[in-house]
Amino acid sequence: MSELITLKATARPRAGKGAARQARRDGNVPAVIYGNQETPETINLEYNELWKQVLRGHFTSTAIELDVQGTKHIVLARDVQVDPVRDTPLHVDFQRVGKDGVIRVSIPMHFVNETQSPGLKRGGVLNIVRHDVEVYCPYDKIPRYFEISLEGMEIGRSIHISAVTMPEGVSPVIKNRDFTIATIAGALKGEEETTTTTAEAGAPAADAKGAAPAAGGKAAPAAAAGKAAPAAKAAPAAKPAAKK
Amino acid sequence: MLQPKRTKFRKQFKGRIHGAAKSGTTLAYGEVGLKAMEPERLSARQIEAARRAIARHTKRAGRMWLRIFPDVPVSKKPAEVRMGSGKGSPELWVARVKPGRIIFELGGVNQQVAKEALILGAAKLPIKCRVVTRIE
Repeated sequence: MSELITLKATARPRAGKGAARQARRDGNVPAVIYGNQETPETINLEYNELWKQVLRGHFTSTAIELDVQGTKHIVLARDVQVDPVRDTPLHVDFQRVGKDGVIRVSIPMHFVNETQSPGLKRGGVLNIVRHDVEVYCPYDKIPRYFEISLEGMEIGRSIHISAVTMPEGVSPVIKNRDFTIATIAGALKGEEETTTTTAEAGAPAADAKGAAPAAGGKAAPAAAAGKAAPAAKAAPAAKPAAKK
Repeated sequence: MLQPKRTKFRKQFKGRIHGAAKSGTTLAYGEVGLKAMEPERLSARQIEAARRAIARHTKRAGRMWLRIFPDVPVSKKPAEVRMGSGKGSPELWVARVKPGRIIFELGGVNQQVAKEALILGAAKLPIKCRVVTRIE
């Protein structure tokens, strides 16, 4: 079960991209608190403090106690917007926990005993269909992860949600079907060979630059008849060079 | 090598690669991935070389996902040809990659082996790359 993360925040009076960018320039991360039928609040978080918590893991599946200049909120990080190149946080969405305290949260799956699976030993591949599963649970009893043992799993077997033992008060969001979490697939044989053949087939076309470079046969569109003319022009142009 | 099965037009404009990637910036399938840090056109040959290097190091264990596809034809004029007389003929296929784009993903492999394999694969590419892992 997860403990509460404590984060300090300051109010951000102005909303919008100008204020958000100013906050980033000042070493903060803009964020918003919404939900529980209250008005949304724009806040700033200290960048380093937030980044440490994000790197520690389980940031979106742990309840957070936000201290906004003395006012405390119990929230859950719903989304962390990150920089596409550096993966550093740009903005965080926090949702207030409701009165009943039950929240909808994604819990990561952990697969253990991989060495004791005969299917994986024979060259099978663990194909993870869902890296995390959405569940309903009380905010103070969020499981850190669900553990699935692969012991005795053969190729072709699949693991469904019914195989996961959930603690009391935790139930999956999808209830009407026994959905798949992972399967053990057979090894893909001949993948390397097929690619090699494709590469060989493409090589002569790429190398045959001299006479008819356009005849690489690469695009081969349906309407190639009309478009072969520009390519044919290139061949006469190559003649003076050949004379030299 | 990878190339489209059929295309509507044989030749395309060169274009420029501006800005950072908007989609394909997070891991979608595997546990470890290779992220581009620079904009560049990656040729089918370079992608294939990287793919082979990764597959060889992982000993073909686990699964690999390629998140880019070379769907842009690049034309070239033959050597020692005077300028003019139309656009050259299609020579190779490239994928336009923006910074932040995940190129490869690996799953079902030991994380240390996967990281080593991706570093070897990145050495086959003409851009700086970074190995990224899934944060729970």
